[in-house]
Amino acid sequence: MYEIDARFNDYFSELDPARRLEILNAMQDDEDSQYLHRLYSERYRDNKDVWLWRAICLEMLYGQWRLFKSSRNKEVRGILKELHADNDSHHEFIYREYRNVARRYLSTCKSSGYASSLMGLKQASDDEKVIKACLDIWQMSEGIARQENLRDNMQIWIKALYDELINYDPLCKLEYSRLSSK
Amino acid sequence: MEQNRFAAAFKQNAIWLVFIIEIAIFAYFNPKFLSLPNIINISRQVSYYGIASIGMTFVILIAGIDLSIASIVVLVNVVCAYLMMNLGWNMWLAILVSIIMATLIGVLNGFMVSTIGIPAIIATFASQTIFRGLAYILSGGLPIPDVLRYAPEVGLNGNPTLSFFARWTLNHWSIFPKTGIGLIPVCAIIMVICFAIGSFILNKSYFGRYFYAIGGNEEASELSGIRVSKMKYLIYALSGFFAGLAGIIVLSRTGSAQASSLVGFEFEVITCVVLGGVSVAGGIGHMSGVIAGVLIIGSLKSGMVMMNVSEYTQMVVQGLVLAIAVGFDCFSKKRNAG
Repeated sequence: MYEIDARFNDYFSELDPARRLEILNAMQDDEDSQYLHRLYSERYRDNKDVWLWRAICLEMLYGQWRLFKSSRNKEVRGILKELHADNDSHHEFIYREYRNVARRYLSTCKSSGYASSLMGLKQASDDEKVIKACLDIWQMSEGIARQENLRDNMQIWIKALYDELINYDPLCKLEYSRLSSK
Repeated sequence: MEQNRFAAAFKQNAIWLVFIIEIAIFAYFNPKFLSLPNIINISRQVSYYGIASIGMTFVILIAGIDLSIASIVVLVNVVCAYLMMNLGWNMWLAILVSIIMATLIGVLNGFMVSTIGIPAIIATFASQTIFRGLAYILSGGLPIPDVLRYAPEVGLNGNPTLSFFARWTLNHWSIFPKTGIGLIPVCAIIMVICFAIGSFILNKSYFGRYFYAIGGNEEASELSGIRVSKMKYLIYALSGFFAGLAGIIVLSRTGSAQASSLVGFEFEVITCVVLGGVSVAGGIGHMSGVIAGVLIIGSLKSGMVMMNVSEYTQMVVQGLVLAIAVGFDCFSKKRNAG
């Protein structure tokens, strides 16, 4: 599922936007690379990683109480549109791009300040960081999809984030199942 | 799903239930607790806690802390009173300068935390000591008494311009504590406006989203393009600004400035914020909870006074409330982590 040509592996495994652009520019100019250029320019705009920011927004929207539930649902749908979740083609590239977003997010989850408590006074242990990372990824994928009844619209997103998460740490699979069974 | 929605709404607003129960208990033991004069008194009393708690909410949301707010309030008190009483400044100019000074102190905190990288608790503790000390130096360790009554006599030095400002000050200074719209005191109205602004910033502006994101995962926020350093400057500046505004309210309420006042005020404000559901781990909380937290602490203080609970016992109770609120937050976090 979601297999791609091996020549794109370097591009999708790279996390640094500037380096990714270099790899992309070095590719042969064909339909696929043009599509990737389009995805790239939509993801990285105005010195921002817009897709990573949208992933963070999805996490924040999980569990957020609003007087009008429809406003939150509308916002989530808007984010999904921006993430190309409703795209009928190029699923394999979108899946890989989502995994790249998840990997970039997870790359920050080992920093000293991550998951700290008591106003940053108490640093989290490695296990606590992994558990928090699982919770974050679950909330921005499965959690928000369940909450907004958007599982069908978010299939690729959920799968991509899950696949990336279980490669992150052996503990993650179990933790994800625990969160999903709640 | 509807049941889940109800449960989520209940969980989010449960703090209001605590407030209602508290009111019911105090009203049961002392029927005067719900009398109009007492309600107005509570609204005056909570106004400066409320205003200061808005800035503190922003700071705690990014997993920071601001221990300097009590000193900012006191320094604003002393500086504003000094400018009006000793230099005969126009009231509004003195207020403006004092609030700008408070905001700049916030910027200084932001500089120490964000640019130098000093842990927030140490940086703001240093500010607390520095600015409390400055307040003592400026006031000579003595209270600047009765801004209202002595305004025309102090600082005139025969100067007609100063005399004009001093009289003008006398006539206008009392607008905050004494008057209101109908029965609602002006200071309570200012607090409500500040809460509305705070809620708008948190819920409707991009800045609010950034605050939550930084508190949730600072490094990921940075990677996504948020200028975390600049945001920290802004947040500490806002904390200083709201503390400065609270300082003006305190001065207008007490009518005198004293460098030794409001010891422990920052912990009371932190209690309001944490009690209102803002997580000490950052990234979680909402302004309506903080309003409830402020009202609970205000009612608790007033209720205990009406029940003749000694000042020392009040301190014990407030300390316990803070410990319980933080403990509950840590416990919830542990439970969620499984």
